Amino acid sequence: MTDFDAIVVGSGMSGGMSAKELTERGLKVLVLERGPEIVPERDYTDQLAPWQSPNLDNVPQDEIRQHYPKQYGGVAYAIKESTKHFWVKDDEHPYEEAEGTNYDWLRGYHTAGRSIMWSRQTYRMGPQDFTANKEEGVGVDWPVRYEEIVPWYEKVETFIGIAGSEEGLSQLPDSVFQPAFELTDAEKSFKQKIETTFNGRNVIPARIAHLTDATEEQRSLGRSNCQSRNRCHHGCTFKAYFSSLNATLPAAERTGNLTIIHNAIVKGLDYDPASNRVSGVQVIDAETNERRTYTSKVVFLNASAIASAIILLQSKSEAFPTGLANRSDQVGRNLMDHVSGAGVAGIMTGFDDKTVFGRRPSGGIYIPRYANVTENDKPYKRGFGFQGGARPLGNAGGQIAGIGRDFKEAHKRPGPWRFSVLAFGEQLPNPDNRVTLHASRRDRWGNPVPIFNVTYGENERIMQREAVKDAKAMMEAAGCINITSNDADLSKPGNRIHEMGSARMGRDPATSVLNGWCQAHDVPNLFITDGAFMTSSACQNPSLSYMAFSARAANYAADLIAEGAL
Amino acid sequence: MKTRREFLQGLIVSVGGATALNACSGAATIAATAPGQRGRFYTGNEMALVSRISDLIIPRTETPGALDANVPGYLDGLMTDWASDETRSNHREALQLIAARLDAASGDFLSANEDTSIRVLSELDSIAFSGGSGLGGYRSLKGYITQAYFATEEGAMEELKWVAVPGRWDPSVDITAGD
Repeated sequence: MTDFDAIVVGSGMSGGMSAKELTERGLKVLVLERGPEIVPERDYTDQLAPWQSPNLDNVPQDEIRQHYPKQYGGVAYAIKESTKHFWVKDDEHPYEEAEGTNYDWLRGYHTAGRSIMWSRQTYRMGPQDFTANKEEGVGVDWPVRYEEIVPWYEKVETFIGIAGSEEGLSQLPDSVFQPAFELTDAEKSFKQKIETTFNGRNVIPARIAHLTDATEEQRSLGRSNCQSRNRCHHGCTFKAYFSSLNATLPAAERTGNLTIIHNAIVKGLDYDPASNRVSGVQVIDAETNERRTYTSKVVFLNASAIASAIILLQSKSEAFPTGLANRSDQVGRNLMDHVSGAGVAGIMTGFDDKTVFGRRPSGGIYIPRYANVTENDKPYKRGFGFQGGARPLGNAGGQIAGIGRDFKEAHKRPGPWRFSVLAFGEQLPNPDNRVTLHASRRDRWGNPVPIFNVTYGENERIMQREAVKDAKAMMEAAGCINITSNDADLSKPGNRIHEMGSARMGRDPATSVLNGWCQAHDVPNLFITDGAFMTSSACQNPSLSYMAFSARAANYAADLIAEGAL
Repeated sequence: MKTRREFLQGLIVSVGGATALNACSGAATIAATAPGQRGRFYTGNEMALVSRISDLIIPRTETPGALDANVPGYLDGLMTDWASDETRSNHREALQLIAARLDAASGDFLSANEDTSIRVLSELDSIAFSGGSGLGGYRSLKGYITQAYFATEEGAMEELKWVAVPGRWDPSVDITAGD
């Protein structure tokens, strides 16, 4: 007899979906969250007006130096006095980087994890993303194909809500959409000129996980339509954007089958060689250091790609001396992110008599991947999508000449329209890009400190260099002036916060950790459905895929339990 | 008349975000120093200089000015509660440099008449924004003043017409005379 039917480690993007699907199948589920509880009524800060946050909402500089050097260095735009409680303190959760390498491990330890702070861009992977490894002989082949995932994409999309437009593009299949956020006039002009000049390139509204026509199911969870405030990094009391706290966890809660325990750091998984099963989940209470073990028929790791790999590496036994489910030696390897850095901006003239009302919450335009899809003359593999948009520049920073009335009133005018795009490119899997455990250094709970050794390869460097050229050419074609670029100064690995691949799925247990159901080859009652399962990174923002695979794996596990196989 | 917070609460309920109700409580208190006195960070002379420059950059018009919004007190709080020692030191040095240049151009900037004050500060501003060297500290000060002004209730609400809950996204609004 086990304590629960299922234990889900992590309450974020994928953990929330695992918990929802498992509880809705009637299973008793324990969610273990390593951080404290977030209570929206207490902890969301989206209702604060600008004048209600001290110091321009900036975190004191000494506090950044002491507690947030990595987090703030990675996402200064999101770490404010009113949002810092959503980000970990680096000094409390340390990690190391191999000599000569850099890694941004940007995290939030609390209910719903980073699904509270994400940027909400939401795209399906396309058929080409599941076959590229095999066709090119890179990494290992995905054990599934796009068509197998489609029903799960549809199920998840209907539940979470995505604002977007139907475009009929094969490489970026349409989701189940609610109405898109309409493009600005400058963006429409850009779209017209790019699609006319560059055959096969498309400019579409960004697809974002915001409600614009909430369904009855979404309203029943207390969610309502987006109010165009752009306060999303503070949490959303309208529950208009998707987070597990706004949607999946309440859905799981109302089944009556959910138990969630906070401040529960998973130290490791117990393994029973007789049954070849995970037999227990060891937990340390973050506040009291009390140790407990919980049992269940099935365990889902949704701790994030890196943390799930770390849990496996910490779970050593006679049967698994290098870490649980690691007979392939692939746990912690092939760590990927999206490579970025190719950013180009310019001024669009001719729109000075136009402004906008409301604050669009995320995105603007998206240029789906065309490299090696509609254009096959590239000196690199795979491709990238551009995120971007046009908005009035405004003058509120005070960095224009003049004093007095004219200077003051200049801030009321929208200013020139600035168009910017930033490439998000696919990173190829490389087994040498990995996270390992420090031999002796421990954190305050006695767990080994991780060490990252991740670098970009030649393909990523060439891709971003070429992306800069492409972006400049498109800016010029759109009639932009004062075009500036950053010469493809590559983002740090981890900085796009799309880490994945550290326990990849594959067909062969000798070269992969998971099978096509996100189930460990070596241990049948262990599933990993955060980014760790990703066999390749594609170039699309991955959260939707994590959730689709989570829903699929959860229902598969529920079937196995019903059959008595687990 | 409803306060803004009461207005927000009513709006949130009307669109169905019931969980928002308590989020309006517990707003941060801004520790700004009152104008016209020695600050927690600024000396009396520094406060006088920052106050005069703030008033000249963002004067009272049909809407409140920087002094109405207590921008000098805001900056004093910023330097005390936000800035590192290095930032404080740089800011203090910048104020000394700015004072020296304005005094050199006007005799005594703080006792100069309105026309002279506007003229010498305009000249300094023009040099700073046309690539003049050594005036990064002035540009920084102007940034603080401007950002602080628009972060106050007076600047955000009365000057910028900031809207807490737009409720909709309109990507194409014509700017007409008087907007």
